[in-house]
Amino acid sequence: MTQPEAPAPDAALPVLHALRCAGAVSVARVAAVTGLDPSDAESELIDLGIDGLVTRLPGDPPVWSLTGAGRAAGAERIARELESARARGRVTAAYERFMVLNPELLDLCTAWQLRPVDGVTGVNDHTDAEYDSRVLARFADLDGRAAAVCAELAAALPRFGRYRARLAEALGRAAAGETAYLADNTASYHLVWAELHEDLLVTLGRERW
Amino acid sequence: MGWVRPLSARTGGTAGTLGGKASGLVVLHRLGLPVPAGFVVTTGACRAFLRDGRPPAGLDEQLAAAVADLERATGRTFGGPHRPLAVSVRSGAEVSMPGMMSTVLNLGLTTGATEGLAAETGDRAFARDARRGFLASFAEALAAAAGAADVDADVDAVPDDAARQLARAVEAVFASWEAPRARTYRELNGIPHDLGTAVVVQQMVFGNRDGRSGSGVAFSRDPGTGEDTPFGEVLFGHQGEAVVSGRTTTRPLRELAEREPEVWAGLRDALRRIEAHHRDACYVEFTFQSGELWFLQARPGRFAGAAAVRVATELADQRLIGRDEALLRVSPLHLRHVRTPRIAPTAEADVLVRGTGACPGVATGRIATTADGAVRMARTGPVVLVRPETSPGDLHGLAAAAGIVTARGGPASHAAVVARAMGKPAVVGATGLAVDGASVTAGGRTLPEGTLVTVDGTSGEVVLGSPRTVTGAADAHLHRLLAWADDASGDHSARDEAQRLAAAHAALRGR
Repeated sequence: MTQPEAPAPDAALPVLHALRCAGAVSVARVAAVTGLDPSDAESELIDLGIDGLVTRLPGDPPVWSLTGAGRAAGAERIARELESARARGRVTAAYERFMVLNPELLDLCTAWQLRPVDGVTGVNDHTDAEYDSRVLARFADLDGRAAAVCAELAAALPRFGRYRARLAEALGRAAAGETAYLADNTASYHLVWAELHEDLLVTLGRERW
Repeated sequence: MGWVRPLSARTGGTAGTLGGKASGLVVLHRLGLPVPAGFVVTTGACRAFLRDGRPPAGLDEQLAAAVADLERATGRTFGGPHRPLAVSVRSGAEVSMPGMMSTVLNLGLTTGATEGLAAETGDRAFARDARRGFLASFAEALAAAAGAADVDADVDAVPDDAARQLARAVEAVFASWEAPRARTYRELNGIPHDLGTAVVVQQMVFGNRDGRSGSGVAFSRDPGTGEDTPFGEVLFGHQGEAVVSGRTTTRPLRELAEREPEVWAGLRDALRRIEAHHRDACYVEFTFQSGELWFLQARPGRFAGAAAVRVATELADQRLIGRDEALLRVSPLHLRHVRTPRIAPTAEADVLVRGTGACPGVATGRIATTADGAVRMARTGPVVLVRPETSPGDLHGLAAAAGIVTARGGPASHAAVVARAMGKPAVVGATGLAVDGASVTAGGRTLPEGTLVTVDGTSGEVVLGSPRTVTGAADAHLHRLLAWADDASGDHSARDEAQRLAAAHAALRGR
């Protein structure tokens, strides 16, 4: 069987796409999202900046964001990647499964932050270790089901494999006591999940509603 | 043994057997309110299904008999084609929970019955719309039942036989008890996994029948403030699912008064009667078809915070409950809100729009409609970021903003989770709010970016300008309730609000 001619690897695409899915972010977060070394990520960002696809905004730390041209170029290259991998059917199926899990994940983040007591929903003050451990156990259960979806996605398009690693890291840290990694920081399970959601929408060219 | 019971004023059984929804419908029947004819499949049948992996012996026959009764009562034929009977199929556990199958609408609209409906009404577009509603909700139901395992609910697999449609929908409700999201909810809330759900089957009323039809939800009192005035949403020309899904923009309930005064009068009367029965604020779901009002669900209102305080004191004033009961209706936990800043209840606030408070607190700032705009504008002063909804691309804007408003989404949306993580006052699901480029439109007013607004993440209000805010027990209703509390406990010393109420609870329970 002959393989279709492999397209030239698009080294800049993961960086360009990271800004599309994660928004305006620092070099450190581009590195975390893509798995690239920070200096490699920065060098790609600079090249993309020369092409007018991304722009650097002052701040502490400075953040990089897509230009209008970058957004258009990214969408076009992501669509091309999907078609050349003939992955639309598999990604669509995985997206449908993801959308079944999505409300449950949001329920869990909310249950971590808020807690009904006597019919009144208030802030979870994390003084009830038994309740918190129940929430964590359900995160772990959901993560097991999410892993299957991530595996299907990675089989369809290898770049999706990065989400599995990031979700596992967030949950591992939360289970080890760094509970801000559930819903409260920029590497949290919730935010990685939200980036995956955005990525699926962008990849399939869908609207959120 | 009976798995199926007709719904009427005489229907016996606890909420444990009939489920919460059917129990609410029995109450409506007893109050003489209009409820579409129907029957309930008990939780016992669900438990048998979950235990054996198949419906219990006799269920099919009992369903057939219940359908035959329904055909006689309505003078219609299930599956048509002549005067077809269409039904809704809904889950109804004792405690409602997310993740279970919600509703199959217009079941029984086989291809033949759809033709029959078109012929009967002379409205082919309506019949086709109803059939589409059936196919979509049936597919969604089967997908929910299959959980994460198989969501390819194939429309071609929909049986064109009404009885088989019903059997599959009932099984889908049973199976959805085990949906992972429902299981998670039960785990977190300490609800046993072996209760099972009932299934409510009722004759369809069509909110999409014509221009004088529609659906809505209503509270007898305002759930944000407790004020004694009906509050809710209505959607003209649509079936009920569209209201609940949030995918269609609803209208404020009071528009019913102008467009359908008789429906409005019937609704107000019913809310009073249901309140008197529960001796509490209540919530209803309703549909009106060609100007005729029907009730699909009713339950006590379950208000929180300041609204709970106001309802309890006013119910006591109205002599629906005594003062002791008013005190016991309010948990000391409801009083946590009194230490959170809120827009002063007495303020002459110009409310732009209302949604759901997702993170308590008050923030005043200039409207920004994009994340980049929020970052830019925040350099010179506080900003309120107003978005249709949020995605990770808005995160830097959320971080820069003092307050957050979204048109869509609920208290478990991405925006709500992020707002709470960042501790920013937020209002989500502000229906009727539209973000168009660099302006925001709500309630017929268009405001440009830069307009000063205030967000109250407790009440869910978004107010123009910068109204007075309060912290502490500024609320006249709370003052009165706490005075009753001190009388009950006999302790008039200075303590915080929750302690005063807790002392009253202890004294009342010790009597």
